[in-house]
Amino acid sequence: MSKNGYKRVSGDAVEYEVFARKARVDPLHLVGSVVAPDADLAMAYARATYDEERWCEMAIVRKADVIRLWSPGEI
Amino acid sequence: MSLSDLVLSLADNKQMLGLRYAEWATRAPSLEADIAAAAMGLDDLGHSRVLYGCLEPLGEDPRTPNRESKPASIRNLAYFDEPWTEWSQFVAANAVLDTAFTVMIEACVGGSVEVLQHRLRKMLMEERYHFLHGRSWLRSGIDKAPLLRAWQEALELFGPPDGETESMHRDGTLSMGPAEMRARLEEQLETKAPDVTIHWEMWDPLRRRTAPGAIDEHTFGMLRGLEEKKYAPTTASKAAG
Repeated sequence: MSKNGYKRVSGDAVEYEVFARKARVDPLHLVGSVVAPDADLAMAYARATYDEERWCEMAIVRKADVIRLWSPGEI
Repeated sequence: MSLSDLVLSLADNKQMLGLRYAEWATRAPSLEADIAAAAMGLDDLGHSRVLYGCLEPLGEDPRTPNRESKPASIRNLAYFDEPWTEWSQFVAANAVLDTAFTVMIEACVGGSVEVLQHRLRKMLMEERYHFLHGRSWLRSGIDKAPLLRAWQEALELFGPPDGETESMHRDGTLSMGPAEMRARLEEQLETKAPDVTIHWEMWDPLRRRTAPGAIDEHTFGMLRGLEEKKYAPTTASKAAG
């Protein structure tokens, strides 16, 4: 949840982070996020939303599965 | 019915599916679903262009001048005749009909005709995401009526058990006949086709449907560019005239 209390996720939906890269030599980087009730739909949404560029790889990760060591404002 | 007729039917259906998807680009249940509707619409309109482009190399273009004036000359399934009013109709088309078109394209890619083997392969990769989208929404539960209708029209698309699609399967033009295509669709959607009665004696082999009718006037006008002319500045029409 953001500081102003806004939450994109409602009901059964889950937030997924979308990562992509344009060339094999590039690292994967965060390009955005999608909200979906399951991984299948999240893949379809990620591809539809972020397919403008010619990515050679795209991956999604459940945001809840990301283990944060620290976050902005904590150090 | 020739292979070109089958390809034209696929092209017209993809075009109509793309247009109907696009109509939901601001009406779907979430922003992500809006974007997916728009993206899938663009994909299917692109696929229809590729399919139309296959007609010439196939050696026969069945498109006649009738297509300029008669909506019934467009070879789309009845499911696309009218804009969808319910999200369930979108999901049933996305899950069942879009997948049925993909199965038929798989049959073309796996068949013996080189131009189809090469040109249609990329569609199958793009269609993977349409399938994931449709199957996921289908699992969330939708009304039965559009689902039943979509299944019936998918089976009509595949054609009668002993018709020309089956002949094309037997001679290797297509890698699957109606029975194999039905089994493939069932496998993909992880369910058996519902019991539906198809009156094959009423089936139109070119339009691959039993129901009469045609696309609505507004959509036909849009396809023909007539809607666009309606909004053209008068100076432009004078210059054109």
